[in-house]
Amino acid sequence: MKFKINRDHFANGLAQVLNVVGSKATMPILSNVLIEAEKDQISLTTTNLDLGIRCHIKAEVKETGAVTLPVKRLATIVRELPNIDVSVDASPNHQVKIASGGSNFRIMGIGKEEFPPLPEFGDEKAYDLEQEELTAMLKSVAYAQSTDETRYILNGVYFNFKDGKLTLVATDGRRLALTSKEMEVPAANSGAIILPAKTVAELTRLLDKGAKLKINFNERRAAFQIATDKDSSGLVDSVYLYSKVVEGNYPNYQQVIPKETHQRIKLERELFLQCVHRAALVCSEKSNSVKIKLTSNLLEITAQSPDFGEAHESMAIGYSGPDLQVAFNPAFIMDPLRALTKDEVFFEVKDEVSPGVFKTLDSFICVIMPVRLS
Amino acid sequence: MTVSVPPDPVPPPRRVGHLAARGYAWRGIPFAVRLPTIVHLDADAFFVSCELALKPELRGTKCAVGGRERGIISSASYEARACGVYTPMPTARALKVCPDLIMLPHTSGLYGKVSRRMFDLCEALTPVVQRNSIDEGYLDLGPCGFASSAAIEERVRGLQERISLELQIPVSFGIAANKLVAQIASKLRKPRGFVVVPPGGEEAFLAPLPIGRLPGIGAKTEAALNARGLKLVGDITARNDSELESVFGGGWREIRAIARGEDERPVETERDDAKSYSQQETFADDIGDPGEIERVAKGMIDALLPKIRGDGKRVRTMTVKVRYGDFSQEAHGRSLEAATDLEAPFYPLVAPLLRAAWKQRRPLRLVSVRFSGVEDGPAQLEMFAQTDEKRRRLAGVLDRLNAGRKTAAVVLHGHQLAKKPPVV
Repeated sequence: MKFKINRDHFANGLAQVLNVVGSKATMPILSNVLIEAEKDQISLTTTNLDLGIRCHIKAEVKETGAVTLPVKRLATIVRELPNIDVSVDASPNHQVKIASGGSNFRIMGIGKEEFPPLPEFGDEKAYDLEQEELTAMLKSVAYAQSTDETRYILNGVYFNFKDGKLTLVATDGRRLALTSKEMEVPAANSGAIILPAKTVAELTRLLDKGAKLKINFNERRAAFQIATDKDSSGLVDSVYLYSKVVEGNYPNYQQVIPKETHQRIKLERELFLQCVHRAALVCSEKSNSVKIKLTSNLLEITAQSPDFGEAHESMAIGYSGPDLQVAFNPAFIMDPLRALTKDEVFFEVKDEVSPGVFKTLDSFICVIMPVRLS
Repeated sequence: MTVSVPPDPVPPPRRVGHLAARGYAWRGIPFAVRLPTIVHLDADAFFVSCELALKPELRGTKCAVGGRERGIISSASYEARACGVYTPMPTARALKVCPDLIMLPHTSGLYGKVSRRMFDLCEALTPVVQRNSIDEGYLDLGPCGFASSAAIEERVRGLQERISLELQIPVSFGIAANKLVAQIASKLRKPRGFVVVPPGGEEAFLAPLPIGRLPGIGAKTEAALNARGLKLVGDITARNDSELESVFGGGWREIRAIARGEDERPVETERDDAKSYSQQETFADDIGDPGEIERVAKGMIDALLPKIRGDGKRVRTMTVKVRYGDFSQEAHGRSLEAATDLEAPFYPLVAPLLRAAWKQRRPLRLVSVRFSGVEDGPAQLEMFAQTDEKRRRLAGVLDRLNAGRKTAAVVLHGHQLAKKPPVV
């Protein structure tokens, strides 16, 4: 295998696949990147067996072939090379020579035979989506995923293609965020998957390379082909992301979304966020809640921790309902407010033990459970 | 019995400035106004005394309160103590050393009631009362503004008589300038003791006492110290710093402070929150049936959680302890993901914890359940837990129904019902 490549393109390609490595102890080759050279491009592949990424970089291929190299060290070396032109030459014993300007490296590789192949997809359920739109949808729910490993079902984002729309849901059992978009979903093609948190993070990172992406899935795995038509640093074709899905039944989220609206207030998103953020500055790990108090045309936010002090914020709002107060974990309020982009949000509350609900004029809902004050 | 150590003559006012300037000040208060305001009260043989108040015909007999057969003695009359009965001693052994011992069963609710009335009488004297346990506590008469040591003595004697008169129980008092000395003093002349240690006389008071009278020095430590020539408290204060360090190691300064009768702890009126909740049961005959043990353990969950709810707390960790016939024991615990005030999340832990703790295939003498990881304050509500809210409402109803009932007519959970014998 022998090719010439632009240093920055090579570095950019390695950066796309860098995060996905397996544990060195169990399978050393999983910390390597598989480099395959053919025609006028090289492909770079990494996998940790649960998740795999492949991208393609344009290159001047002189001799086709393949080799694997430790990806972290290789990426560091390529970034630091002195000259924009880089030549890579692999010998049959998997030693790879990398030359750039006056720099010469010889790196020990491993043959491609041991590298586990990424499963390719055939005729699973498939949909085309817009990258920009999916990015916004993922961002508006991803913060609500659970990080508690004992609730592994909740360690991901639920994708539900059903009834003429795609719904994304994430919950940690104390809050739930949901967003949906209308699209054509043939009945035979409807289905749902739980995409693991790590895959969601990688997908979100990759979704700015082009206009479209394609998702394929069955009940065990999912794959994304992400177009790279907006990329100007060497990526060609599409980035391929493969992932196992979380197997199991996602909880019935419909039952926790309140059916009735009790008191609805319209809030300036930025202002509310700032007030809650300031009030929460006095919170501590032991007393991590802010109290929201509604009276006629006034919203007050208070927080306190016994050994530090207290904070009081007030906002003028349009409100004529009964006086009520309810306390929440401040992060549960701030996370959706940060993730949204609309200037105005609606916040619905009922009483001190009923959930609060954020809504926007889009199909967005975030349900947050209160903190019961003793 | 009463012992009064002669107080130092109250120094004439003109000496006050002189002494204070030389450092004879105590908590910033000039020497002249120092009074023994800390009182330790310790009821004598409390459970037995409560029983004797109801059964005066048993006064002067060798009697004890405790469990029968396989139980232990929880309180013994002074006559029984003279025969070698002590607490906690297995009842069977007590009956061997004192065959004519009259065993009285626990009277449920009695001791708590007497204790409350006793402390109520204390609070009539001063608001600063620290209830250490059911039968023992501290009073601070500092805020009462007594002018002299004699006035304090008179009032505390009045309290002792009032408790004796109204509750028919003997109580011993120790009066001193701090909790440490007051506590040692109250235990010195039991029963009906009344010992006053004047301020400044602490070291002299402690010096002739055996070293084992000091808190923290148990029988083993006492024997070890005796072997090194330290028999009396005064032997500690007589040693120099390096000698003390070689005997007591890094903590020698604290030991010396205790031996000198120095203590700065205030009387705390608010009781510390419970760190754990536990219950145990000793069986009349060893039990080898896992189903039965599981039923008993679940019954303990049902008994403890209402208390936890009543205190407005939640608990996270459950520990099950088993004890075999030979008193060897083993315990195993597990924590829930989040603290709860409901019984249900703990039921599924009973069987696995029992399996983990009860490794030897031998019948059990005792099983206990303990809840720790106590939390209070705001509780984050869960989303997929509507059943929890229903359970909490149900538990609230049960708690109200069962409140005030002791053993009869409480609402039981299904698993608390003993298995019916098979129908023949």
